[in-house]
Amino acid sequence: MSTAHTGTHADEQLSSACPGEVVTYRDALFRTMRDALKQNPDVILFGQGVDDHKGIFGSTLGLAHEFGSDRVFDTPLAEEGMTGVAIGAALNGLYPIQTHIRADFVLLAMNQIVNLAAKYKYMFGGRLEVPMLIRMVVGRSWGQGAQHSQSLQSLFAHIPGLTVLMPASAQSILECYPYAIANQRGPVLAIEHRLMYDLKFRVDEVREKPNGSPLASHRVRVGKDVTIVATSIMVLEALRAAEHLARSAGIECEIIDLNCVSHIDAAMILESVKKTGKLLVADTSWKAYGVCAEVCRIVCEHSPASLKAPAVTLGMQPAPCPTAKSLEDMYYPNLRDLTDAIAKLVSGKGDHGIPLPDEHSMADVYKRFKGPF
Amino acid sequence: MTFASVYEELFYKALRIRLVEERVIELYPSDKIQSPVHLSIGQEAVAVGACQSLKPTDLLFASYRNHAFYLAKGGDLRAMFAELYGKVMGCAGGKAGSMHLLAPEVGLMGSSAVVASTIPHAVGAALVAKRRKHEQVIVAAFGDGATEEGAYHESLNFAALHKLPVVFLCENNGLAVHSALSARQSYRIIDHARSYGLPVTCMPDGHDFMKVCEIFSGIVDHARQHRTPYFMEIQTYRYKEHVGPGEDYHAGYRSRAELEAWKAKDQLILNKELADRYRPTILQEIDDAVAFAEASPWPSREHLLSDVV
Repeated sequence: MSTAHTGTHADEQLSSACPGEVVTYRDALFRTMRDALKQNPDVILFGQGVDDHKGIFGSTLGLAHEFGSDRVFDTPLAEEGMTGVAIGAALNGLYPIQTHIRADFVLLAMNQIVNLAAKYKYMFGGRLEVPMLIRMVVGRSWGQGAQHSQSLQSLFAHIPGLTVLMPASAQSILECYPYAIANQRGPVLAIEHRLMYDLKFRVDEVREKPNGSPLASHRVRVGKDVTIVATSIMVLEALRAAEHLARSAGIECEIIDLNCVSHIDAAMILESVKKTGKLLVADTSWKAYGVCAEVCRIVCEHSPASLKAPAVTLGMQPAPCPTAKSLEDMYYPNLRDLTDAIAKLVSGKGDHGIPLPDEHSMADVYKRFKGPF
Repeated sequence: MTFASVYEELFYKALRIRLVEERVIELYPSDKIQSPVHLSIGQEAVAVGACQSLKPTDLLFASYRNHAFYLAKGGDLRAMFAELYGKVMGCAGGKAGSMHLLAPEVGLMGSSAVVASTIPHAVGAALVAKRRKHEQVIVAAFGDGATEEGAYHESLNFAALHKLPVVFLCENNGLAVHSALSARQSYRIIDHARSYGLPVTCMPDGHDFMKVCEIFSGIVDHARQHRTPYFMEIQTYRYKEHVGPGEDYHAGYRSRAELEAWKAKDQLILNKELADRYRPTILQEIDDAVAFAEASPWPSREHLLSDVV
């Protein structure tokens, strides 16, 4: 399963960030949006509220003023129509960036995304292309409830023709967004996580790019005892669990950030599982038919004998998201659940005796904001 | 080819579309065209009348009933037959078939089988035309059924709000598959379009390519000069079944008398002298295009996974 990215040249520089600099997820988004508009006159940016005083949680703040309402503009509440407008603009030479403050609203645009944008290059024999970026934000905590919390990567990644990104760090945004805008000739969907917007990330040197593209999976921690494949904020949770287990039990986790869930680096996963013999997949969404299922499929198809224990998966409970905090804290896997699952998998025992972190609400740790969002 | 008058030119273009589709009907039982065909027979005058005032740089977005627009906009006939045959020399290398013809080299920017789905594309293209391409006009061509879809309303609203140079061209043949307008719409199409503040024209004589040409040319000039949207509804009539090569008047959802009334106004039937004059040339061109399609190779394994991302 190789990546299908066709870019010929990747910007070697990170978009306006120096190695060692500390950048928030939000600021990385803002910088990439601003740079895109600045560097490429064909880029337009639109979405509901993109030019208002909140500016898509700060990621587009002031850009309408700086670049003009011709290029950065608010839209009617018409998700399907506006995605169609983006496709038409792309067909006539622009690079549209469309924003959605909640991923749930993108369901209204599924016809344009799935039936049209994803199909156009193939269906027309390569003669039409719709280069565009659709950003969407996954909500969590403060009672986001059933319709403001969905993480829909499996719906999109299922469809050939779509490239689906789930940045788990400021670095990923700074590497992937400019690359996608400059090089991807088809629709790219970026699923951002609201709880990460305020988090600070240290930006490293430009990372290695398998196949010349940063839209690839990354090994973010090297270890010998277990392979953890994770997406989005679950990468951070896996890193925290790994630190805890290294400290308290000497367990060394290897962690792979899928990053581009539509084009998984299967070789990286298989190589890692061959080494560790153990696989745990931690995704931000439901397990059935999703990233968890897909990663298990890859290992089962290509290297089932590598597994020395049954694979373990973590995701949301199989229900719509409840609003009450007491239920929500049970609905998502927390650090304690994740650490316990890893400890059980590595030790092979239910009562492994490894001390677990006393943390039952992940949102309390990440969340710096209080309602209404 | 030169013509003595605009009438003769439009007649020729309309007749060419009809004869092409009649060839499709002839070929269909051979199973050489394994693609659902939505024939434009009866509606040719709309496409040729409208496209007459468009330049190759003007963009048109179409639906699955696209053969007439493909040819009227200047799409290549050989590439069309090869596409219907599923051959590699088709306009999309065999991956599109009848429902998704395109000819971007002359401004036909794709056709979609999902009703109304290319209307917002025309609006998006017009957003670019307004800001960058000061001569370009964009046309969204769709049927009456499309006006029931949400994307249609979203498109009219955005085009009117931003005053974009797009012409909405509604070919009203009164049918969505087999359902009559009265079973589907609580509104009159033209009144509803007007409620968005769009200038509108409704034309009952969709059989009359001269009249379509005259009115539509004024609309295109308006859009070209003023860079604003326009809405035009043209009544027309689909002679054949919704999809497929046949007729289905026996099914009872419409009467043959309706068909006869439209045929009684159909220049391609009435002007036998001109039809006889042009037919041999056109049939020769069609023979050549069909032979080209026959000779073209099939797409192969190398094409199966190309152009996905």
